[in-house]
Amino acid sequence: MGKPKHYRPPGKKKEGNAARYVTRSQAIKILQVSLSDFRKLCIHKGVFPREPKKKVKGNHHTYYHLKDVMYILHDPLLEKFREIRAYKKKIKKAKAKKNDELAKLLTSRAPSYKLDMVIRDRYPTFIDALRDLDDPLTMVHLFAMLPAIDRLKIEVKCIHNCRRLCHEWQAYISRAHKLRKVFVAVKGIYYQAEVDGQKITWLAPHARQQVLTDDIDFNVMLTFLEFYETLLGFVNFQLYHSINVKYPPILDPRLEALAADLYALSRYFDANYRASVQEPQVAGSSKSEQEQEESNLRLAQLQHQLPANEPGALMHLVQDASSEVEEDAATRDCKNLFRNKKFFLSREVPRESLLFVIPAFGGIVSWEGDGAPFSEADDSITHQIVDRPTQGHVYLSREYVQPQWVYDCVNARIILPTEPYTVGRDPPPHLSPFVDDEAEGYVPDYAKTIKQLQAAVKSDIKPLPGTGNDDLDSSQNMLAEGFINRTEAMEAAEKKRQMMLLEKQYHDELKMELQGVSRENKQNSENTESEEQSLPDVEEPIAEDPSRLMMSRRKRGLAKAIEIGKQRKKDHVEKLKERKRNIEAAQKSEKKHKKAQLS
Amino acid sequence: MSVNKLRLISRKSPRLTTSSLTMGHQESQNPDNTNPLETRDEDFIERGDSDVLANNDDQDEHSESSQSHQGVDESDSSEDEVAPRNTIGDVPLEWYKDETHIGYDIAGRKITKKERRDKLDSFLASADDSKSWRKIYDEYNDEEVELTKEEIKHIRRLLKGKAPHAEFDPYAPYVDWFKWDDAKHPLSNAPEPKRRFIPSKWESKKVVEYVRAIRKGLIKFDKPKEEPRFYSLWGDDSSSADRTKHLAYIPPPKPKLPGHEESYNPSLEYIPTQEEINSYQLMYEEDRPKFIPKRFTSFRSIPAYENAVKDSFERCLDLYLCPRVRKKRINIDPESLKPKLPNKKDLRPYPFACYLEYKGHEGAVLSISVEPSGQWIASGSNDGTVRIWEVETGRCIRVWEIGEAVQHVAWNPLPARPILAVSAGADVFILNTGFGNVEEQKEIRKLLHIGTPASDDSDDMSSYLSWLQDEKHDCIRLRHYRTVSSVVWHRKGDYLSTLMPAGESRAVLVHQLSKRLTQRLPFKLHGLPVSLAFHPTRSIFFVVTKKNVRVYDMLKQKLIKKLETQLREASSIAVHPAGDNVIVGSREGKLRWFDMDLSSKPYQNLDCHGKDITNVAFHRSYPLFASCSDDGTAYVFHGMVYADLNENPRIVPLEILRGHTVTDGRGVLDCTFHPRQPWLFTAGADSTIKLYCH
Repeated sequence: MGKPKHYRPPGKKKEGNAARYVTRSQAIKILQVSLSDFRKLCIHKGVFPREPKKKVKGNHHTYYHLKDVMYILHDPLLEKFREIRAYKKKIKKAKAKKNDELAKLLTSRAPSYKLDMVIRDRYPTFIDALRDLDDPLTMVHLFAMLPAIDRLKIEVKCIHNCRRLCHEWQAYISRAHKLRKVFVAVKGIYYQAEVDGQKITWLAPHARQQVLTDDIDFNVMLTFLEFYETLLGFVNFQLYHSINVKYPPILDPRLEALAADLYALSRYFDANYRASVQEPQVAGSSKSEQEQEESNLRLAQLQHQLPANEPGALMHLVQDASSEVEEDAATRDCKNLFRNKKFFLSREVPRESLLFVIPAFGGIVSWEGDGAPFSEADDSITHQIVDRPTQGHVYLSREYVQPQWVYDCVNARIILPTEPYTVGRDPPPHLSPFVDDEAEGYVPDYAKTIKQLQAAVKSDIKPLPGTGNDDLDSSQNMLAEGFINRTEAMEAAEKKRQMMLLEKQYHDELKMELQGVSRENKQNSENTESEEQSLPDVEEPIAEDPSRLMMSRRKRGLAKAIEIGKQRKKDHVEKLKERKRNIEAAQKSEKKHKKAQLS
Repeated sequence: MSVNKLRLISRKSPRLTTSSLTMGHQESQNPDNTNPLETRDEDFIERGDSDVLANNDDQDEHSESSQSHQGVDESDSSEDEVAPRNTIGDVPLEWYKDETHIGYDIAGRKITKKERRDKLDSFLASADDSKSWRKIYDEYNDEEVELTKEEIKHIRRLLKGKAPHAEFDPYAPYVDWFKWDDAKHPLSNAPEPKRRFIPSKWESKKVVEYVRAIRKGLIKFDKPKEEPRFYSLWGDDSSSADRTKHLAYIPPPKPKLPGHEESYNPSLEYIPTQEEINSYQLMYEEDRPKFIPKRFTSFRSIPAYENAVKDSFERCLDLYLCPRVRKKRINIDPESLKPKLPNKKDLRPYPFACYLEYKGHEGAVLSISVEPSGQWIASGSNDGTVRIWEVETGRCIRVWEIGEAVQHVAWNPLPARPILAVSAGADVFILNTGFGNVEEQKEIRKLLHIGTPASDDSDDMSSYLSWLQDEKHDCIRLRHYRTVSSVVWHRKGDYLSTLMPAGESRAVLVHQLSKRLTQRLPFKLHGLPVSLAFHPTRSIFFVVTKKNVRVYDMLKQKLIKKLETQLREASSIAVHPAGDNVIVGSREGKLRWFDMDLSSKPYQNLDCHGKDITNVAFHRSYPLFASCSDDGTAYVFHGMVYADLNENPRIVPLEILRGHTVTDGRGVLDCTFHPRQPWLFTAGADSTIKLYCH
C-alpha cells in the first residue's frame, strides 16, 4: 500500500492552500454566526471570497482566506451582533409573556452598533475612502429616489437620510467646483468629480418613479446602504471640514419644505462663511445646549434674511476668500465656464441636476417656484432652460435652450452655440465624455464639430467649414456666426481676409485628402482582391507570420486573443460606419424625393 | 320633566314630516331625519292629552273647531290648547286620497279638502312671497302652517342634534339634593377596613422594583448625551495613517463607464436597426447585448430606467459574493510577444520562390528523389510511372511504366552507381537509369543481373521475400509479401532497407544488393513502424513507430535510444547530416526537433501545419530543413547546429511555400533538398513537382 498523494503525517500542520483557505460553511463554523450575520459582517468589513490556486474542497465552493475570517473574528462587531441577537430573544420572550412594560423597556435600551471604527479600519486614509466612493454614491443616490415601503423595510427615515447625504455631497462638489464631467444616459445621469486627485463617478437615476421587481433581496441592499450612509457621512464631514463649514449643516426649514435643499445648502455655506468671518465663534462651548440650539435656529433664520436676489454677490465673497487657496487649472476652468451667466429653469426641467451642475461651473441659477432667488422676469437672466415643444412668452434679452446644452457645454468646457438647442428642435447627439474617440477608432460627427470649436476658442480663429456633410455644415455656419457675435470687438475685416485664405487652403487640402483616401481605398481593395486570387485558401492571416511558430503556446494564445479583440473592435467600428452610410444614403434619397415632389 | 320635554320637542314634528313631502323647497333646507314611526306615537300621546282637554269643553267649542277648518289664522301659541281639526281620527290618509273631502263635521257633512294648488301656482307664490319657504302644508289637518322664526331655530338645533332650546344646558353642574351635613346616621354601618390604614403591599413592591431598576441604571431619567454621529474620522493630517497588517485589499473593479451608445440621445449610427435587434434574438443569451441603444429627442421623454434597482442589487452581489483576484491587465503590443529572431536576410540563402515546375505526371506525385550529383530528379506517381527529369531544364528524360502506384523512389547515394530503388505495391524495383559512363554501366548491369532465382536461400525467407529478375525493365525485383511503403538506402549504397507497415515482425527488412541477401530487423518493434532512416555517418538505424523513434546500433545489434516524440502519430523522419539531430513530423501537423545529445525528449516543438506532415527533410550542407504537409504548404526553416556542444541548435522559421493546390484532401506529398544548392523540390497531389530556389 502506497501513501496517498498528499500524505500528511499526524501532528504535522496543514500547509498550502488547504491551510490558507476555508469554505464559506467552514468560515461560518469558525465564527459561530448565522449565515445572514456572516453576510452582514462580510459586507461591513469588506471581506470577499478569494480564488485559491488550488481548490482543495472542490470547485463548487466559495473560499475565504483564513486571515479574512480571522479579521472578522477579531472585530468587536461580531460580539455586538451576538449581543443584539441575545437581546432580541429577551424582547421576544417578554412579548410572549405579555409583559409589555418590560418589552417596552427592553426595546428602549436595545444595543446598537457603530461603524466608524470599521470604516477607519477599511480606509486608513481619507484618499482610500474617496477611491471607493463610486458605489456608495450610486447606491445612496438611487435610494434617494426610491419610495419608502414598509413591506421591504425601506423606512422614510432612511430615504430622507439618503436624500440629505446626496444633497450635502452635491453641495460640496458644486461649491468647490470639483465636478468635471456629466453624461445623461438612459440609465440616469453620470457625474464625474475629481476630489483630491481621485476621480469619482456616480450615477444618479432620473427623477422618475423607480421600478421595483420581486427578485431583489433588499436585506442585502439595506446592509450595504447602512455602511454606505455612514461612510458618506464621514466623508462629507471631512470635506466640509476642509472648507471650514460646520457639519451637519443646518438648513432653512422653509427652503427644505420647498424641496430646494441644494439651494438651502448653498445658502448655508454662504451664511456659515459670513458667520466665521464676522464672529469666529458664534456658538462657544461654554454655552448650554439649549442656547446652542437657539443659535442654530437663529443661524437658519439668518440665512433667511440674506439678500435673496443676489446670491452672486455672496458667492463672489466666498470666491475671493477661496481664491487664496491654490487651485489647479481644471478647477479654475470649471469655475469660469458659466461666469457672468444667469440661468433660469422652467418648471418642466429636471431641477435638481441643473441646480447642482450650473453653480458647479460658476453660473447663477434660479427656478420657477417658491423660494427661488430671482424670478423669471429678471432682466439680467442670460439663459432660460426650457424643455417644452414651444415657448409662449419670450424675453428677447435671453436665450432659450434645452437642458442638454448645459451638459454639452460642461463636457466641452466651452460655451457652445445655442442654435441647435433651441426650443422645439431635436438637439444634436449627446456624446459621452468618458470615451476616448481616437482609441476607439471612431469619432462621431458632433465630436469633431466640438473639437473644432474648442480649437477655435483656443486659437481665436473662426472655425472653418468642414466636410460636405450638410448637417455639419449648417451647424458650423451657425457656430461661425455665433463666434463672430462673440468677437465683435475684434477687427473683423482683417481677420476675414485671413480666414478666406485659410478657408481656401483648407478646402484644397480637404479635396486632396478625400482623393488620396479614395485612392488608397481603391488600392487597398485591389490589393485584397489580388491576394485573394493568389491565395484562395488563406484561412488565418495570423499564420502568415512564420515567427509565430517560435512563440510558446501561452504567448501564442495571448497574441491570438489580442488579435481577436482588435478584430472585434474593428468590426464594431465598421458596423458604425456602415450604419452611418446607410443613414446618410436614406437622408439623401429622402431629400431627392422631396425635391422631386417640389418640382 | 323629561317627558314634558319630549312633548315639547315632538309638538311640531308630525306636521313637519307629513308636510315635508309636499313642499319641495322646504325639503332641501331641512331634510327629514325624524322617524315617522316615532312621531306617530308622540302624536298619539299628544292627541290623547288634548282629547282630555277636548272632552272637557268639546261641547262649547265644537262649532269653533269646525269653523277653523276654513280659515286658519290662529297664533301658534293658541294651538296648544286647540284640539285637532281633523275629524277622521287616526286612519291612514291614503284612504282619503282619491276623495274630495276629508272627514265629516259634527253635523255629518263632508268636510271638503282644500283645493290643491298646482306646481306653477306654488312656485309663483313662493317667488312672490319671501316668507313662503317657511310655510308648510299640513296634510293631516289639511292646512298651511307658517313657521315662526323661533320654530325654525328649534328645528335647526334639532337637526344638529342639540337640544331645541338654546338656554338648556345639558352639562349643568350636578347639584346634590341630599344634605349630608346634619345626617345622624351613616348610610352604611360597616366598619372602616384595615386596608384604608396601611400602605399597599403591591405598590411598595412596585416601588422597590423601580428603585432597584433606577439604582442599577436600568431606568434613566436624563436622556444620554447624544454624541455627534459624525466626526473627523481621519483627522486633518491624512498622511499619518497606520497601515493595517491585513491581507492586501483588492479594490473592487469600478463599473464600466458608459460609452456614446448609452446616451439618451446618441448619434443615429449607434442605434441598431430593427433587423439587427431581431437578430439578437437568435444569439445565445450570454452573447446578446445587454443594452440596446435608444434615442429620446428631449429630456422630458426619458422614462425611468427599469433595471436601476436591479443593476444596483447585482453590483452589491458582485461586491460581496464574487471572488476578487488582482489581474494585471497590461497593454501588450502583440509584436513584443514574438521572439527575437535573427533577420531573415542574414540567413540567406534559402528557397523562397518557385522557379520551375515539372509537369508530366497524370496522378499525384507521391515521392521524389534527387540524384546525388544534383543533375537529375526521379519521381514516382500515383499513375504508376516513374520519371526522371533534368533538374535545370525541367525536361523529362525517362519514363518507366510500373503499372502500380509508385509509393517511394530513392536514388542510390553513390554517385558512381546511378540506380533507383522504387517501391510499388508489394514490389521493390531496382532500376538502372542508364546514366554514367560505360564502365559504370557495365558494373551496374552485372550488379543487377540475377541469373537464376536464388533458391538456395532458406525456405522461411522465400515465403515472404524473393529476389527476381524483371525482364521488362531489365532490373531486380524484390517481391515482398505485403505492400512496401518506403525504401531507404544506406550511405554506402550497398544496403537498402524496406518497410512494410503491415509486416508485423518482418516489417523492416534490410537487403544487401551485392550479395542479394535479406535480413529482417532482429528487434521487436513496439508499435507500428512508420518510417526508417540510416544514420548519415555511423552504423545507426532509426525506426519510427507511431509514438516513438527507436535508434539501433547495427554493429552491436542493440537499441541505443528511444526518443519520445510526444505525438499521437508520427509520420516521417529526417536525420541531420551531422547525425546528432533528428526531426520528426507527425500526422497532427507538428514537428519535433530532437537533440539526441541533450535528451530523448524534443528540444523544440513546432506546431506549424494545419494538417498531416507528409515528409521532412534536412539539407545536406546548408543549415536548412523543411517540412511539407497536406494543407498545401511547405515550411522552410533555418536549423543551425553548432559544433560547440554547449550551444543549442538555432531554429528560425524562414518561409512558407505555397503553390501546390490541395486535391482530394492531399497537398504536398514529398519534399527534398537539392544536394548542393539551397533549393527545395516539392511534389504535390496536383501532379506537379516544384522547384523553389533562393
